[in-house]
Amino acid sequence: MVDLEKLRTVAKETISRDDVKYLIGWRQGTYGFRVTPCFIEEPGEAEQLIFSPLCTNNLASYLIVTEKLPLPRGEKPDTRKVAVMVKGCDSRAVVQQLIEQGIKREELYIIGCPCEGVLDLKKVEAKFPHILDPVAAQWGKDKIIFQLPEGVVEVPREEVLAQKCLDCRDPNPVIADITLGEEIEAWGNGEYQDVKELEAKSAEERWAFWEDKFSSCIRCYSCRNVCPMCYCKDCILDRLNPSWIYRSTNISENTAFHLSRAFHLAGRCIECGECERVCPVDIPLMKLNQKFSKEVEEKYGYRPGIDPEAKPLQSSYRPDDKEDFIL
Amino acid sequence: MNNKPKIGVYVCHCGINISHTVDVEAVAEFASQLPNVRVAREYSYMCSDPGQALIREDIKNEGLNRVVVASCSPRMHELTFRKTLAEAGLNPYYLEMANIREHCSWVHGDREKATAKAKRLVAAAAVKARLLEPLQEKEVDVEPASLIIGAGIAGIQAALDIAEAGFKVYLVEKTPSVGGRMSQLDKTFPTLDCSACILTPKMVDVASHPNIELLTYSQVEDVSGYVGNFDVKVRKKARYVDMDKCTGCGVCAQECRLTGRIPSEFDEGMGKRAAIYLPFPQAVPAKYTIDPERCLMLTRGKCGKSPKCVDACGTGAINFEQEDEIVEFKVGSIIVATGFDVFDASRKPEYGYNDYENVITGLELERLVSASGPTGGDILIGKGDDAYVPKDIAFIKCVGSRDKSVGNEYCSRVCCMYTAKLAHLLTEKIPDANVRVYYMDVRAFGKGFEEFYDRVRREGVRYIRGNPSEVFKRGDKLVVKAENTLTSTPVEDEVDLVVLAVGLEPRRDAREIIDILRLSQSGDRFYMEAHPKLAPVDTATDGVFLAGCAQGPKDIPDTVAQAKGAASSALVLLSSGKVKVQAQVSHINEDTCRGCGYCVEICPYSAIELVTVNQFGHEALVARVNDALCKGCGACVAGCFSGSAQQKSFMDGQILPQIAALGVMR
Amino acid sequence: MSEQQFEPSVIAFLCNWCSYAGADLAGTSRIQYPTNLDIIRVMCSGRVNPLFIVNALQQGADGVLVSGCHPGDCHYMEGNFYARRRFTLMNELLNYVGVDAKRFNMSWVSASEGAKWKDVVEEVVENAKEAGPFEQFRRNKINW
Repeated sequence: MVDLEKLRTVAKETISRDDVKYLIGWRQGTYGFRVTPCFIEEPGEAEQLIFSPLCTNNLASYLIVTEKLPLPRGEKPDTRKVAVMVKGCDSRAVVQQLIEQGIKREELYIIGCPCEGVLDLKKVEAKFPHILDPVAAQWGKDKIIFQLPEGVVEVPREEVLAQKCLDCRDPNPVIADITLGEEIEAWGNGEYQDVKELEAKSAEERWAFWEDKFSSCIRCYSCRNVCPMCYCKDCILDRLNPSWIYRSTNISENTAFHLSRAFHLAGRCIECGECERVCPVDIPLMKLNQKFSKEVEEKYGYRPGIDPEAKPLQSSYRPDDKEDFIL
Repeated sequence: MNNKPKIGVYVCHCGINISHTVDVEAVAEFASQLPNVRVAREYSYMCSDPGQALIREDIKNEGLNRVVVASCSPRMHELTFRKTLAEAGLNPYYLEMANIREHCSWVHGDREKATAKAKRLVAAAAVKARLLEPLQEKEVDVEPASLIIGAGIAGIQAALDIAEAGFKVYLVEKTPSVGGRMSQLDKTFPTLDCSACILTPKMVDVASHPNIELLTYSQVEDVSGYVGNFDVKVRKKARYVDMDKCTGCGVCAQECRLTGRIPSEFDEGMGKRAAIYLPFPQAVPAKYTIDPERCLMLTRGKCGKSPKCVDACGTGAINFEQEDEIVEFKVGSIIVATGFDVFDASRKPEYGYNDYENVITGLELERLVSASGPTGGDILIGKGDDAYVPKDIAFIKCVGSRDKSVGNEYCSRVCCMYTAKLAHLLTEKIPDANVRVYYMDVRAFGKGFEEFYDRVRREGVRYIRGNPSEVFKRGDKLVVKAENTLTSTPVEDEVDLVVLAVGLEPRRDAREIIDILRLSQSGDRFYMEAHPKLAPVDTATDGVFLAGCAQGPKDIPDTVAQAKGAASSALVLLSSGKVKVQAQVSHINEDTCRGCGYCVEICPYSAIELVTVNQFGHEALVARVNDALCKGCGACVAGCFSGSAQQKSFMDGQILPQIAALGVMR
Repeated sequence: MSEQQFEPSVIAFLCNWCSYAGADLAGTSRIQYPTNLDIIRVMCSGRVNPLFIVNALQQGADGVLVSGCHPGDCHYMEGNFYARRRFTLMNELLNYVGVDAKRFNMSWVSASEGAKWKDVVEEVVENAKEAGPFEQFRRNKINW
């Protein structure tokens, strides 16, 4: 487990360095179980930092959405490092961004935080509704310990852990300049049970399942915006000319949107689950993304965001790639 | 200029080729209702002069700025109509074609359905046409040199033609000598010219021509670049003999410890050679080569106390330290003249080629009748004292040709006539010989062929129609078992010699050149020409031409004719000095490119690179295409998530409306 | 619409060098096949964006075909290898969301395989016929 004192000391040292611009971390939110990403620029602010099962946000998303404002003529851009706190899954996002040259390694200072799984706030808030005062949580052995206003409550971890964390294979950061705390033994088995359950159903049942989910989509694009791997400056799904999909929210356009989004993540999704977390209508997007995780692992032995030297799946091939579906 | 699309649609009858299944009037009428269509006409032959004039006039009079031609395949006439547009002052890339012949009228019988499909195809073409953009064709200089792969009669002829026209030729031959298959032949049908007499002068010419660089015992390793500017890499294999010092005296071969022990490739294994050898007496260059797979020194590192060839060579030409050499050069065009292999007769085990020494192939008999052959031109079967002159001789035709069971459906085109020629030569050499030919059909289609066939029959060669089922031994004789299908009688023919008229097959290593030059194979596995009728020497790869049997079986005059054709096609390129490069290249929108580098990885031609640009003071990586290297495949486009990479004339914004048009037409 | 009457719409993306030429050869050889399949020509199967498949199904196709050169024969050396990966993934995705597996097809047809082209068209059209009209996924209003 990450020791908070250690974290804050490291953060203070990091932010005091001349070559670091700011540090992206988590701090307690304004109410209830909420934890919010924060940008630390002064050593004093490091005291706000926390790392707990409530730190769900993948901070790697902020690495690539940073707005680069036009610079006055002659002014040099600030190329100092950005320090970022990453969990295991978040670190895979960083690796994949490095592979895709979204960011430069020398402009990063990565603080790795081995993670025992974050919480699904929907599950937590269902258990403890209507809590407005800030609440803290920490990992215990096979349980989560909440400091609720009425006192300490322990909950078995599988009852509140986010779905993606129940089968986590990468609790430890795969890339880091400094790692806080002990390495954690992975508990996931990579069997993609969720995907297999759906695969076992008939085509009609699968269509019915997704039709139900996609028809509720309001096309808020939150899934795309939060995704650390969706960083086109101008998304083709937004574009009017050519227009790949229309803006109307109906089953046809919604399905096309989700298929396109998922396909663009094939061999790239690092399974952080942020898309599913932010979806306001609870579309199980990870079920879609994990389908690809499963296929690329089974077919091509590939897992995105693990090896910074690996060639991206969709820009490489092997002459003997499987082709059993071809006529 | 007002660039609002004004489309002209031209629907071709193609005589009745299209109009017999497609209601072209209805298609034209339909097209006239499509958005942005100014005129829609139908005409009997759009590709004819008046047809093209129709388009040119409409461009002038109606102010058309886009043209749709609904006719045959764009692979056929896209260039024709692009020229028409250009002649009328319109950018040639404002053309879109709808293939309503090959993809519609010729493959469908139902007039109503075919017409409906033609309408859909025209609609899709029209929607795309209105979104087309003008493209500029860039010109690049052509390297004034040609590479010719294979120095048989085809390669030799092409090399001489190009060299005579004043251009540099690199003639690359895999074996130690030029000459190819023709040098193995004794006489040529139907005129009975001595093969060597007509070939050797040409062989000497290629060796002595100042414009020809002969690279024998060499193989093309790699070709990159594009039409007009190919970069070629050739491996000159080590001969272990210094070409400058060797005088071709041959003492080394006489002295070699393996003299007379290695089957000679030139004599089809019937003659023997040494480990250091000249393939045949008239070989060009007349320089010896050491066979690295047989030479004791090279295989075991030891040859007696010292290699005898070294001791014997008066000029000190032998050098066991020699290594392969890589030669690199640039050429503007390439001719592939790699020839053929003969069918391996052991793949027809029923004829006993592997079992009986008196079952031989036509090419082997060719060496036997040749004065330069292993027997000095005597027809002797067997070895030493047991050798005998055969009296009863049977030819079996179509061995390995017209035979689905061995995967060769095609006719090899030369076997009928070389059988007649060999039969004639046998009756000449063995006056009391009794020669018969078992055949399926006799195809005597060429100039002087039928006359020759007739002559051979009058000379007493019997032609028996029937495809023998097997050849087996009975006593001293071979028995050819067949059915005479003209008389419907079974035949068991006792003979002394069976000659299998084996067919021609693609080179067993044909794949290597395919991989290097991106050629296609036709169904018979020979290299495929760009068009069977109108581009028989061209290939799908611009600047690469075919000559001789590499493209399909043919006889010597046809081979020479095609070689001259290929040479002339290559010369068109070389002498014009300029070539237009692909205009339908990829382009990357640097404003939306996120610099992920997928396209860079994907591009098979390394035509894309990531460059650092300044975006409002910040450094950013973006991909950029080198137009001269881009071949316009569009693989980068489909791999680009942000849609920043687009292929000109095949943009997402042009294909999506095509899809919509086809959909909406349902 | 009864099963017999249903004439599916199939959109096919063909590479210029092999499959398009193979279809041309089928034409030159007068090999007959159903009219249901409409061809869009691209230079290489590597050019075909997998999202075209989704789009075609939205815009009215009951079946889609992508056809290119046999692996190793690509005119552009590698294009069909990329295509194979992309479409293997797209195929999995479509199946997973319950699109009938018969709707999306891929084939290798060379320039000399006019007869194979006919077989492919017949199979793809038959597949689309069995899958039936894909009304559930149609775009409401198609604008072209």
